[in-house]
Amino acid sequence: MHSFWVDLLVALIKMLVILGVALGVGAFLTWVERKVAAHIQRRPGPMVVGWHGLLQPIADGLKLMTKEDLFPRYGDKFLYHLAILLALVPAVLVFSVVPFGPEFELFGYKVRPILSDVNVGILLVFAFGSMAVYAIALAGWASNSKYPLIASMRKAGVLVSYEVVITFAVMGPLILAGTLSTYEIVERQIEQKLWYIWLQPVAFVVYMFAVLAEMGRVPFDVQEAEAELVTGFTVEYGGMKFGLFPLVEWYVEGITLSAIAVVLFFGGWSPLNVPFVGFVDPLFFLGGLSPFVWFVLKTALLFGFILWLHWTLPRYRIDQITQTAWKVMLPLTLANIVFTALIAPLVWR
Amino acid sequence: MGRLVIFGLFSLLAVLSAVGIITLRNPVYVVVALLSSLIAVAGIFFTAGAELVGALQLLIYAVAIAVFYIFVVSAVPWEKAKKTESHYRFEGIVSLPVVLFLYVEMLVVFLLGVKASPKGEIRRFIEELGNAEVVGAVLFSKYFLAFEVVSLVLLIGMIGAVLIGRKESQTYEDDTP
Repeated sequence: MHSFWVDLLVALIKMLVILGVALGVGAFLTWVERKVAAHIQRRPGPMVVGWHGLLQPIADGLKLMTKEDLFPRYGDKFLYHLAILLALVPAVLVFSVVPFGPEFELFGYKVRPILSDVNVGILLVFAFGSMAVYAIALAGWASNSKYPLIASMRKAGVLVSYEVVITFAVMGPLILAGTLSTYEIVERQIEQKLWYIWLQPVAFVVYMFAVLAEMGRVPFDVQEAEAELVTGFTVEYGGMKFGLFPLVEWYVEGITLSAIAVVLFFGGWSPLNVPFVGFVDPLFFLGGLSPFVWFVLKTALLFGFILWLHWTLPRYRIDQITQTAWKVMLPLTLANIVFTALIAPLVWR
Repeated sequence: MGRLVIFGLFSLLAVLSAVGIITLRNPVYVVVALLSSLIAVAGIFFTAGAELVGALQLLIYAVAIAVFYIFVVSAVPWEKAKKTESHYRFEGIVSLPVVLFLYVEMLVVFLLGVKASPKGEIRRFIEELGNAEVVGAVLFSKYFLAFEVVSLVLLIGMIGAVLIGRKESQTYEDDTP
């Protein structure tokens, strides 16, 4: 019975940490994004609130909370609010299968820094990740307005195409790892002394395209498309209810999908890799903390890469988006799977 | 004990949402109730330890299939969607025995499954190999023929859907000399 309570306590602590990371870092990333965007466009960005605008997220939050709460006439109140929950909950749930680092011992108990090490973790990532489409569909419908509805239809077109593509793209690393558990995928990469990016560059590129599509980032932000649809499905939302959608879609989903990319292609918490030879750790002086630092560093770099793309590229048209998905990306991933199946025995040995 | 409580919660949710599916008047609410029922069933699979089936239930039913319902329903004109006189009442009553027969068949299959492994040998098998491996091994050895035939049926269904949905082929023929 004693170990049951300890397990429960550990699970609770993990949940709190995950919620804190998801929402706290998510809010802070709004500042990061504004700074990056500003410097890409040679502006200083937020400078007034705190040192270099560091307290800007708090000011934004206060502003959003004190705004008047508007509700569209003839809208559907229940679905309107359900959409907010449906956006937030699945996105945070994805975190439960992200492994943050290797197993460590604390007060004699072995702790795995992953909330639930299900043996089908990757499938859950995609299941929860694509549930975002309900939030957008219901938000678009319940708002009783044309722009949100058009936006939700567009997002459905994008998501349905890229959901197929991302699943096939991930097959490559999964074949090499031979498992669906996120924790074990990283362990296999460390055993095989190989980041899968070296053998799966095609899969990685396709995965990044699909991530941009799922997050609704430029060049795939047709569902927001400020110039055409005002702000897409969030037009009729105000205050913090509006704020939650970008927070979830751009930041929480952004961190999770970057973290999953790190797990699949960059060996999770392992240090720099020389293919088939071993690992080089320039951060060796951090000791036991080094794996966690590596994981956070890689995720942050990947997220920064997404921001960089967002603020440099123009937007695709909806037909171009679906055409690239079905006519370019899908054949590429299929060819990649055949290639992976051919070289996989070399990696397994 | 904890497993039983969670199983009860998910079952209750599944049954309540199933009742919602057939009683609610608003079509979008019906789809949301369907979604909730599908997720609850996935939860039951997870509590039973069938993680692969649970994840597939979420990925295929709760996301891929239900999302099409929601988009079709939200694109249908509202006056049409709320009409009830067009419902097939007679056909509904006629199909009731067939539905009952299907339920009895499911019950029989379930009991046969219990009989095949009364002491939970399959569970031990799963714990040794992992969910996905067991399903893959069975699917690609014992049921390989059935698996391939099903994929053929799906292909035929897809071709049929394309043929039915494709209307512009006729108009092209009319326009071209």
